[in-house]
Amino acid sequence: MNSAPITTWEGATAYFTFADSPGVITICLVGAIAVCVYAIFSMVQHENASYKKLKSNGTPPSL
Amino acid sequence: MEAAELLTRIEALEASLKMATTVNSEVFYWWCTALMVAIHAGFLAYEMGASRAKNALATGVKNLAAFAFLIPFFYFVGWYIYNAFPAGFVPGDASGAMPWSANMGPNLEDNASGIFWAAFTMFAATTASIMSGAVIERIRVSGFIILAIFLGSVVWVFGAAWGWHPSGWLTSTFGLHDIGAAGCVHMIAGFFTLGVLINLGPRIGRFNADGTVNEINGHNMPMSLIGLMLIVMGFFGFLGGCIIYTGDTWMTIYNTPTTFSAFAFNTLMAVAGGMIGCYLVTRDPFWMMSGALVGVISSAPGLDVYYPPLAFLISFAGGLVIPKLHNILLTKFKIDDAVGAVSVHGFGGIWGLLAVGIFAAGYPNVEGPAISLSGQFMSMLVFLVLGFVPGYVLSYILKMVGLLRSDPAAEKAGLDATEVPVKAYPESRIPAFGDGALTPAE
Repeated sequence: MNSAPITTWEGATAYFTFADSPGVITICLVGAIAVCVYAIFSMVQHENASYKKLKSNGTPPSL
Repeated sequence: MEAAELLTRIEALEASLKMATTVNSEVFYWWCTALMVAIHAGFLAYEMGASRAKNALATGVKNLAAFAFLIPFFYFVGWYIYNAFPAGFVPGDASGAMPWSANMGPNLEDNASGIFWAAFTMFAATTASIMSGAVIERIRVSGFIILAIFLGSVVWVFGAAWGWHPSGWLTSTFGLHDIGAAGCVHMIAGFFTLGVLINLGPRIGRFNADGTVNEINGHNMPMSLIGLMLIVMGFFGFLGGCIIYTGDTWMTIYNTPTTFSAFAFNTLMAVAGGMIGCYLVTRDPFWMMSGALVGVISSAPGLDVYYPPLAFLISFAGGLVIPKLHNILLTKFKIDDAVGAVSVHGFGGIWGLLAVGIFAAGYPNVEGPAISLSGQFMSMLVFLVLGFVPGYVLSYILKMVGLLRSDPAAEKAGLDATEVPVKAYPESRIPAFGDGALTPAE
């Protein structure tokens, strides 16, 4: 995968990966946002599952 | 030497000097950012210590998650808001701060964006962490993270754009002077927290049926004290980040000239004043160290201009009063703020802003009128509303959808045993669950 937006360091400015590909940048950005949002959703699921487990076991799982 | 050769050498020297200035600036903010990470190490230690053993790791998870989530969200939206909204709610041109901008990544023509973004990201994480300690032992981590993201990436950033920016409308309209961010960081975080606490409610067992208060002690006071001292250390990075390096002099964030000596004198005197004030009214080491924060916040807005003994006295006064305000919130208003964040940061920020109006009135600003008590007061009101209203509304919404508060059974059993897959103290029995011999507050 050629991600380099430059072919020489002479006169280079923005040289980060895919700097010349707005579409790929958008995909990366949306992907990063999606990961964060999913992580929060997963956190909610983990909490709900923990509370449910606690109620069904009667004691915390680790005691 | 030929004139042409001389000219070439002068141009080379000028280019070299310019590059040295750029490099110095980058290095300076790089280390300010590193020092500010110590604030989060401090928050982590002090909040885990302030939690009961059964909740120590859940508190830690909450702190670590806040730090981790704040960084990307400040990249996504926070930096843009700061640059786009100094005039109010109408955005100006800040295309260079959009997350897809050429400035928001490695760029050989831009040595500034990344390093300033990093420093502001740490300011943002600090703002969110201020709320963190107040809500320990009963808030859902997910609900807290949503609140922290909103506070750290949106709410305080508007305050910073308005009042902690060379062109912010609070400065250009009221002459606001708040060098150390007592308003946009501490006040906003403190009153956002108050709004959250009203909806969150107290920990189970905190109050008896007759309204009297049960003491709930954290499990590791020494760790809390060390954590608070780490926060004080990190403040030197925070306050350093409030100063702009121009190459030939230091400027405040309002483009007025200053020196590091000014900040050094007054920061240390303020720390001492706050600690001594809190000691005299509490004799409590936790409040002594919180007093160090009270001291910094009380004098923060005028660190560049105060006579050091005056900074000491202003912070000392803050130290005398803030613990009492915390007790009033607890006993009269039944606000269970586990670490005193509302008082230390919220009321401390109010005192700091007003103190500048009282003791530094008349100092000129580059933009807007000179410093005045009325200008400081009006700005204080703006920060108060900007902090409290979003905190109250968002936490109310989270409460309605069941995302604010942990399950009561989990709270009684201990959040560590319920939600965290590892144990803080595996060789100890944590007195948390089920033997019927414990009071609710244990």
